[in-house]
Amino acid sequence: MNRMWKEFSKGLWLELPPFRLLLGLCPVLAVTKTAYNGFGMGCAVIFVLTLSNLIISLVRKIIPPKVRIVCFIVITASLVVTVELLMQAFTYPLYQELGIFVPLIVVNCLILGRAEAFASRNPVHLSVADALGMGFGFTLSLTFLGGIREIFGYGTFFGRPFMWAEFKPFTFMVEAPGAFICLAMCLAAMNFITTWQSKRF
Amino acid sequence: MASQIKKPFISEPVLTVSTPPHWHCGRSVSGLMMETILALLPVALLAIMQFGIEAARVVALSCVVAVVTEAICLKITGRDVSIDDYSSLLTGLLFAFLLPASAPWWLVIVGSSLSIILGRILFGGPGASPLCAPLVAWAVCRISWKYLMDMDLSMLNTEFLYPLSQLKLYGPEAVSGFNYLDLFLGKQIGGLGAVQVSGVLLGGIYLIVRKHIRPHIPLAFLAGVFMTASIYFLIDDTRYANPFFHLLTGSVIFGAFFLATDSASSPVGHIPMILFGLIGGIFVIIIRVYSVYPDGVPFAILIANLLTPILDKIRPKPFKTK
Repeated sequence: MNRMWKEFSKGLWLELPPFRLLLGLCPVLAVTKTAYNGFGMGCAVIFVLTLSNLIISLVRKIIPPKVRIVCFIVITASLVVTVELLMQAFTYPLYQELGIFVPLIVVNCLILGRAEAFASRNPVHLSVADALGMGFGFTLSLTFLGGIREIFGYGTFFGRPFMWAEFKPFTFMVEAPGAFICLAMCLAAMNFITTWQSKRF
Repeated sequence: MASQIKKPFISEPVLTVSTPPHWHCGRSVSGLMMETILALLPVALLAIMQFGIEAARVVALSCVVAVVTEAICLKITGRDVSIDDYSSLLTGLLFAFLLPASAPWWLVIVGSSLSIILGRILFGGPGASPLCAPLVAWAVCRISWKYLMDMDLSMLNTEFLYPLSQLKLYGPEAVSGFNYLDLFLGKQIGGLGAVQVSGVLLGGIYLIVRKHIRPHIPLAFLAGVFMTASIYFLIDDTRYANPFFHLLTGSVIFGAFFLATDSASSPVGHIPMILFGLIGGIFVIIIRVYSVYPDGVPFAILIANLLTPILDKIRPKPFKTK
């Protein structure tokens, strides 16, 4: 249980996927125009990541090492098709908003990275804990980034008015350059917190 | 950084140890910046004469915010607070000259502080900016607040017209009514300082005569604008405007003499400087002809700035080699 908690909690801060491992940056930059989009994308990733880690960990002894990447992609791709169909059925507006980035989860570095680095060499329960931690970390990061960009770029938060009435939206933040600058600021803040902590102890 | 070796119990330093060069011609960063600001003063006066106290408000606010932001940022990052070299003042002044005189106070504050933060501090402080700092802030503001940065919409209560949007919307016949002498004397709207063509030209020539900027970049930039505009004009003079019109409108002259020659973001060496100017000038006309932005100068100079590291690879041959 202790080990499982350790694998789960590392994804939340120590190895926070977009801000520490710098994995899966494509959706981080592209779909975080609003907090809602970021949250939806994160949920899709949690679903795919948990199930793919679970399946890969189950069949890790059967997969021949030479063709393992192909097997991972086949498993991930079938899961992504599932999530795509589910999103079309239940959250169609979000599906339209995310567009091409839902199918692109197949080649998301985070999912392949966890499959290769963790699930293919660890037992099932640890793999699931790892996937859940990474997935929650990813979702929180995307929601955080999307929230910042939405507050400044549209003046709303999860679609509700957030700023004062005469606020003129800072549209730069929801454009592509704003995504890069926002991400860079987050990384700088993470580095600053790390150095500050290491100085303190 | 000169470090001083002190004898114990004697307060005056005996030796001053510093890195070479030890022999200076007396030229300093603060002097260079001060003379550039001096060259821009007539432009500021002309702008205030034309647009009234509003122009003075924008210029003063932008300058103050730039200097204060620079001081705060340098203090936070733990570097020497070197605001007394006037470079941040110059950045604020150049940014103000690109704004319409009607810009609201918060836009000036945000833009001016962004020109310092995004343009200078994030890339390593004064002298390390890869892009021309005022233009970075201009681009951010132009993307964010289209209507407030749009010269036509924000300056409805003046008697002048914005020649470039007239060209964009109604074609070259609409701009045939503009007298070139009027355009030269600044009887047009646009960036509040950038349109004072006569004043900007005077300041630019002063800087070249004082050898603070090399003539390569401005001349190549103007040549690029003129040649590309001439090519379009010769292809079809009913669809494209006269090259002299392109030279005298918007911020072409201002960009050529003051923005493209920004010392940190422009290349060194004769051939790179000429290529840099030509690329900027060509992009001005391409953006003016094909894009939605009426004045292509800021984006053209930003594109040319991005090419600076590549252009700097063209080096003169070492002496006595083949």
